[in-house]
Amino acid sequence: MSLLALSFTLLFVVITMLLSVWQKLDLEKDIAIGTVRAAIQLLAVGYVLQFIFKSENLLLIGLIICLMIIVAATNAAKRAQGMKGVVWRIILSIATMEILMMGLLLSLQIIEATPQYIIPLSGMTIGNAMVACGLFLTQLKRETESSKGEIETLLALGATSRQAVQDVLKQSVKFSMIPTIDAMKTVGLVQLPGMMTGMIIAGADPVEAVRYQILIIFVFTSSSAITSMMLSVLCYKNLFTKDLQLKKW
Amino acid sequence: MTALLEMKGLTKNYWLTEKQTDRTYLFSDITATVKSGERIALLGKSGQGKSTLLRILALLEQSDRGEIRLNGVTSRHTDTRVWRTIVTYVAQQATMLPGTIEENLKTVSKIHNETFDDKLARKLMKDVGLESIDWAKKATDLSGGEKQRVALVRSLLLKPSILLLDEVTASLDQQSKESVENLLLNWNAAYKTSFLWVTHDSEQARRISERIWFMEKGTLAADCETEIFFNNPTSLFNEVTT
Repeated sequence: MSLLALSFTLLFVVITMLLSVWQKLDLEKDIAIGTVRAAIQLLAVGYVLQFIFKSENLLLIGLIICLMIIVAATNAAKRAQGMKGVVWRIILSIATMEILMMGLLLSLQIIEATPQYIIPLSGMTIGNAMVACGLFLTQLKRETESSKGEIETLLALGATSRQAVQDVLKQSVKFSMIPTIDAMKTVGLVQLPGMMTGMIIAGADPVEAVRYQILIIFVFTSSSAITSMMLSVLCYKNLFTKDLQLKKW
Repeated sequence: MTALLEMKGLTKNYWLTEKQTDRTYLFSDITATVKSGERIALLGKSGQGKSTLLRILALLEQSDRGEIRLNGVTSRHTDTRVWRTIVTYVAQQATMLPGTIEENLKTVSKIHNETFDDKLARKLMKDVGLESIDWAKKATDLSGGEKQRVALVRSLLLKPSILLLDEVTASLDQQSKESVENLLLNWNAAYKTSFLWVTHDSEQARRISERIWFMEKGTLAADCETEIFFNNPTSLFNEVTT
């Protein structure tokens, strides 16, 4: 795509801003900031990736993946304000998932061990895991509040913290996986995923693009399941005081 | 009778609101003892902290000051889970766990990895007037009174040494109320289980207790034998009923 063609895409932003002015949505400032930020961030990432792809430096690949995990964890942790140490728990969950996923993909030679494959796939799975963590924590808070009676009933009968919140954890993990499972069911029928569309536009064989998309969907399912389950194991004790009383969250 | 549960200087604060400027505590300096096999009725107007006191004794809530001892050992030095199997709280609002009545009754054996005492469970269900109920029924579909009785049976299957009963017959009709009272009196005689029973029904307090604790203005204003409490013309009971 030429720079001139790219600049024409600003027309879509202008349309949105005009609609905002017409409907008095008062979103013009946010749209303008968002447009500038998106352009700068994506162009910067493009240059960074270009540099890393050329250098093929393992340390740089590791650094960029660590950065992705930290940003994802910080963002997901906003869903659990008030829960101490949740960022570290999310980092540990996502990092474990990343090591497992990449370990499998590389050791089974499903993808090539080059930055072109490792970085985009890591970015997508970490992003998906971030959404799963955010949904898990949101639902965990909601379920803990609405099931306070059940949890305290179990505690009063001598249950462990794990026994007392077993159902709450199960419901929260299930909830965090809904978008991934729904996407898997409707992919190709309702939506053509971004990665596949991008590959096709860039001139790749559609069948080859579909193969990669299938790979991504399967990895997503597994990554959201592993991350939420691990996060549930790491988080549940945080719902209680040391005297096994339900904390006010 | 030996002291089973002792509380010393128990105090619970509450958050001050604009109207409640005279007192910063819900109750303060509560010192009392529950002996083995003792039946105590806990009386007092609403808002005196009776339920909170029971929850603190079951270690479901923290007191702000004071200590509790079970068989001479403080709560800090006792495993919370072990404590709760000895001192068991039955809530005012009976909560049914997801699943059937049978699954609810089996909760205790599942938690503690023990064999379910089917015979005892059936006897208890009969004693509370629920002998004909289908155990496969969803527990959340039961009426308030049925839930309350299933919750009581569920707790009794734990065979605790002290039962903390928070208005457990408040949602029951007269016949069911009497069934539950008889069950608990027989249970007390058979197992020497003590109970601390919150009630607003003075007649029930006379029937079921041998001792009265009366909470007023944030203190334990009376701790005496039931007969003395109700028969004394200058009794605080007159204040309750007037």
